[in-house]
Amino acid sequence: MNIKGSPWKGFLLLLLVSNLLLCQNVAPLPVCPGGAARCQVTLRDLFDRAVVLSHYIHNLSSEMFSEFDKRYTHGRGFITRTINSCHTSSLPTPEDKEQAQQINQKDFLSLIVSILRSWNEPLYHLVTEVRGMQEAPEAILSKAVEIEEQTKRLLEGMELIVSQVHPETKENEIYPVWSGLPSLQMADEESRLSAYYNLLHCLRRDSHKIDNYLKLLKCRIIHNNNC
Amino acid sequence: MKENVLSATVFTLLLFLNTCLLNGQLPPGKPEIFKCRSPNKETFTCWWRPGTDGGLPTNYSLTYHREGETLMHECPDYITGGPNSCHFGKQYTSMWRTYIMMVNATNQMGSSFSDELYVDVTYIVQPDPPLELTVEVKQPEDRKPYLWMKWSPPTLIDLKTGWFTLLYEIRLKPEKAAEWETHFAGQQTEFKILSLHPGQKYLVQVRCKPDHGYWSAWSPATFIQIPSDFIMNDTTVWISVAVLSAVICLIIVWAVALKGYSMVTCIFPPVPGPKIKGFDAHLLEKGKSEELLSALGCQDFPPTSDYEDLLVEYLEVDDSEDQHLMSVHSKEHPSQGMKPTYLDPDTDSGRGSCDSPSLLSEKCEEPQANPSTFYDPEVIEKPENPETSHTWDSQCISMEGKIPYFHAGGSKCSTWPLIQHNPRSSYHSITDVCEVAVGPADAPATLLDEAGKDALKSSQTIKSREEGKATQQREVESFHSKTDQDTPWLLPQEKTPFGSAKPLDYVEIHKVNKDGALSLLPKQRENSRQPEKPRAPENSKEYAKVSGVMDNNILVLVPDLHAKNVACFEESAKEAPPSLEQNQAEKDLANFTATPSKCRIQLGGLDYLDPACFTHSFH
Repeated sequence: MNIKGSPWKGFLLLLLVSNLLLCQNVAPLPVCPGGAARCQVTLRDLFDRAVVLSHYIHNLSSEMFSEFDKRYTHGRGFITRTINSCHTSSLPTPEDKEQAQQINQKDFLSLIVSILRSWNEPLYHLVTEVRGMQEAPEAILSKAVEIEEQTKRLLEGMELIVSQVHPETKENEIYPVWSGLPSLQMADEESRLSAYYNLLHCLRRDSHKIDNYLKLLKCRIIHNNNC
Repeated sequence: MKENVLSATVFTLLLFLNTCLLNGQLPPGKPEIFKCRSPNKETFTCWWRPGTDGGLPTNYSLTYHREGETLMHECPDYITGGPNSCHFGKQYTSMWRTYIMMVNATNQMGSSFSDELYVDVTYIVQPDPPLELTVEVKQPEDRKPYLWMKWSPPTLIDLKTGWFTLLYEIRLKPEKAAEWETHFAGQQTEFKILSLHPGQKYLVQVRCKPDHGYWSAWSPATFIQIPSDFIMNDTTVWISVAVLSAVICLIIVWAVALKGYSMVTCIFPPVPGPKIKGFDAHLLEKGKSEELLSALGCQDFPPTSDYEDLLVEYLEVDDSEDQHLMSVHSKEHPSQGMKPTYLDPDTDSGRGSCDSPSLLSEKCEEPQANPSTFYDPEVIEKPENPETSHTWDSQCISMEGKIPYFHAGGSKCSTWPLIQHNPRSSYHSITDVCEVAVGPADAPATLLDEAGKDALKSSQTIKSREEGKATQQREVESFHSKTDQDTPWLLPQEKTPFGSAKPLDYVEIHKVNKDGALSLLPKQRENSRQPEKPRAPENSKEYAKVSGVMDNNILVLVPDLHAKNVACFEESAKEAPPSLEQNQAEKDLANFTATPSKCRIQLGGLDYLDPACFTHSFH
């Protein structure tokens, strides 16, 4: 029996050791842990789509802000009240290229998702409040509606990307909460306009951030920093 | 004393000012920051415009603080950007953050501050123009020649990491041309142009912009000479295509010329005109309604504007020898969901258009000649009707289907109006038809119009029978109240002898006797009928017994045994005509001993039968 047992034991031991060694040599987490070339193509398409959406959302936000400013607040110094007025300022978002390159991929993606999630509610209330205005400005309302819609789609796309790139990521629903609804509903026109101005200003800024971050990540993940 | 001090102060001040003015020295004027730009989202520069000099050397300093900071900083670099500028290097530049900056001009005499400027680097991005634009003419052997241009992005812009995204645009023109030909090139750094004029010298320029930001300036122009042998292969293809199409066109023109008319007729078949005897389209155009109507046999028809109300199903009650009842499926009005009972009473059912006095009396000769066959099962009738009443078809179709119960292949003539509708249906048909022919009418017509409208509207609500009947009853009342004045226009056409099988007669109350007997004047023909069976009087008050016929075709009615009837009859003579028709209808329904009380709905003194009840009784 002993003669039979020991070769088997040895063989098993050898197998175990070789497995361990091989595991150590394994490449860093591939982009598609699921394997297969098909996954790579899908991720590229996902990123392309996400970039298109984020670009579009920022264009809309920019136009909406310009129209609002031109129509209601131009030349009245509302910009002075936008200092530190964004609810997402608590997030540790990079502010230049170097900082952006230092963030790791996973944190970067979850940061983007947090920003998107934190804008769900403000966009919803923006649409509701603008729609409820007397003489609701159609141009602004339609853009707000479109932005709300596309932001939801972008969030879905990002969640898909995260599930592909970092499938082990735990769902982390923490995001900054917006509490500006009372100020949007204020009776005093000046304060109310200021609240809208701040909201649109922050939206324009955050949508630009997301667009820039996604373009960075796309070049980093898909093209290996060689766009 | 005070005055002295005061004046002395003023004097010294003025003196001081004078000396200053004489020297030409003043505090500096207010400077203004007029432009800030970032070429790469990593650095940026701001430029200011100094105010008036004040005659003394002036120092400028730019101070700023950033959003979220309280600390004031001074400009790190006054040189790189040129005079009156401040350059912010990489370590001083942050995106998505507002800078609040201000320029301070100081000289010996004093200082002045510019307004605060709020700047966010995100929104001031404008790159430099692209570099190294190269243009050449490429003429591959088996393909068309083209102009190939290539350029490179400006320096200091980081495209590889995706921090910056550039979009390009090129433009070119022949040297002497006035207008540029612009092409958007997206993110690519090369471009092909295919359509060029051979032997010309071209200028080419390129510029770029960030994904969100300002366009750069145009790059310096590059010149390129297009060789004269730059063949545009397309032209030969286009010439042959043009020749071929010209040949085809000529052939078509020739064929059309030969067989012109027949082809035209084939493609554009002539539109059938209205085939109404006596209808003169020219009169219509001229708007002479009286002449037109007289030609048609109508008089003074008021217009009704909505025909869609005529989605009514009429139950026609016929007076034929058979005296059989048939159920009719009205296929034209499925929405109504009714199956009006086919009755063959004598007269009072309006047989739709054909039996209406006036317009198509002549046309409806045939159906009138064979009433029994005409009102035989509708299924059989329908195919016949189109031929016999095709004139109606065309006319009714010309009404643009506004009277749906009229069209759909002669079925209108076989449409069976509800009993209570009969009088009105005929009238309405006349109204509507003549209306279409005539157009807007004058005052008397409007009365009828309103009645007609109401009636039409009521008939549309046929879905709830009770409701419909109620309204109809009302309408009939109102209608008749109005039509009494309009009697003249109802031309009695068929004065058939008493007791003829011709249905659809309306009567007008001539007078009421002292004992409550009605003398009726038939409008179209006499409705002399057999005495009517007395009815179980629930609320009935309309059935009268014909006691006799006077000359002039006037019916003398005696009221029923019940005093109620008398009273009712005396109440509103106007109700008599429909009542009389009802009588005749009910007389024919002698087969049915029991008329369920629910079948009779009384409103306003009129008692109408619900044909559906009879249907039940049948089956």
